[in-house]
Amino acid sequence: MTPGKKKLSYSYYPGCSLHASGREYDISTRALFKALNVGLKEVPDWFCCGATPAHNVDELLSLSLCAKNLSLADQVEGDLAVACAACFSRLKTTQHHLKEDATKRKQVEYAIDGPASLNKPVKHILEILAREYGLAKLEESVKKPLMGLKVAAYYGCLLTRPPEVPELDDCEDPSIMEDILRALGAEPVKWSHRMECCGANFTLSRPGVVLKLSNAILESARLAGADCIMVACPLCHGNLDIRQKEIKEAFGAPDSTLFGSIFGSDLPIANTSEDRRDLPIFYITQLAALAMGVASQSLGFESVIIDPKPLLRDKQLL
Amino acid sequence: MKNKLMHLSNETMNVGFVKKVEALSGSSVRRCFQCGKCSAGCPMSTFMEHPPNRIVRLLQLGQGQRVLAGRSIWYCASCETCTTRCPNKVDLAAIMDALRKLSWDADGPSKESYVQLANRLFIENIRTYGRQYELRLGAIFNMKSGQFLKDLMLGPKLISKGKLKMFHSKNRNIGEIEGIFKRIEEMRKKGEAL
Repeated sequence: MTPGKKKLSYSYYPGCSLHASGREYDISTRALFKALNVGLKEVPDWFCCGATPAHNVDELLSLSLCAKNLSLADQVEGDLAVACAACFSRLKTTQHHLKEDATKRKQVEYAIDGPASLNKPVKHILEILAREYGLAKLEESVKKPLMGLKVAAYYGCLLTRPPEVPELDDCEDPSIMEDILRALGAEPVKWSHRMECCGANFTLSRPGVVLKLSNAILESARLAGADCIMVACPLCHGNLDIRQKEIKEAFGAPDSTLFGSIFGSDLPIANTSEDRRDLPIFYITQLAALAMGVASQSLGFESVIIDPKPLLRDKQLL
Repeated sequence: MKNKLMHLSNETMNVGFVKKVEALSGSSVRRCFQCGKCSAGCPMSTFMEHPPNRIVRLLQLGQGQRVLAGRSIWYCASCETCTTRCPNKVDLAAIMDALRKLSWDADGPSKESYVQLANRLFIENIRTYGRQYELRLGAIFNMKSGQFLKDLMLGPKLISKGKLKMFHSKNRNIGEIEGIFKRIEEMRKKGEAL
């Protein structure tokens, strides 16, 4: 799909999180695309992509689930738009592996009882905004610039790694999020933890791990003077938003916490920072839609734990 | 296991295991020259008794059992930093996947049962419903791991925020998923797939 006279239109794979714990990502994605007059049609009857747990223990199952979803997506016209970083990574990985490995491809095609469709371009929302819709046009479409909003753009793991698979941006020094933020009128901050892991799906099995890793990310964003963090992954959002209060309790007063007594000295790191501000966590689509003038009521803000409205009011963006 | 002396001999070196890991991952462990970049960038290495570079070294020395007996493989977050930075193109993230699969197939002897349990429930959900049913995932995980109070305050909050659905309907094409699981099992039984 090339930008130009024809209206941009995509098939859409939301993924499980966007129908539940990341519902505001789905809501704001739809609202944003509507505001930009870009078509978005959900793939009917899609399945879970298997995410990290499937490839962790059974690669063939993971590849087969994604191949099945890619063939379902073939029924809908347009490149496949994906919002969740994990789904995006799995679908791209599947295409990459199966193109390179004829044996695996044969096994997968037997498993899904049909040909593996490897040629439908899979695109993350970020690249649709920055490259297909285009930064210049995006900037032109802004109705309410996000002036004065200092944002820590958080990439996490799967949007850029491993090299050659996601084809989204440089695997060590990406800039696509910052570019979009600048187009929206916001001010991206320079910070240290934009590519560090948040603990991802350990949120279920080992929440202590998530608390430690996500605390480091929040601390780094505060140190850089950010007002908020922007993400493009429902798992990152869950860990940084839903667990933020818990993180504060765990690391706010060292030694005296239940957390500290359970995990002993090897977990909590010394926390010298006085700054314990709440950091609202935004999805890229929420910030972009807000800048496009979409009413804040249609962006799912009621679903998040750290209320972003005081910050937005303070910056006169509400 | 960690502090025991390692004796290298024909008896303790299991080359067959390493070959299996290499076949599953499509990556050679022999390319590694122990620069340690993987462990330097690994966000989880502080939780592991064997950091990533040592896992590869142990594999080079045929010490598969030592690797599987530890918890390192279950603390890998699949963030792909190691694979991204390896100067010798060792796909360590894929090697970790392969090790977990071999441990999973043997049903132990890993110490890290919680992560295994979470993975198992996640995959069960796909087979039963087609998509994730997060409330069920969390509830059954807590029951089976005996942590009845874990995240107890979080559940009702997430339900009230609309982030957890109380009920979940199956995909209407759920039969196709069962077919995928069955055909993969069938290929493995016949020895046509790893």
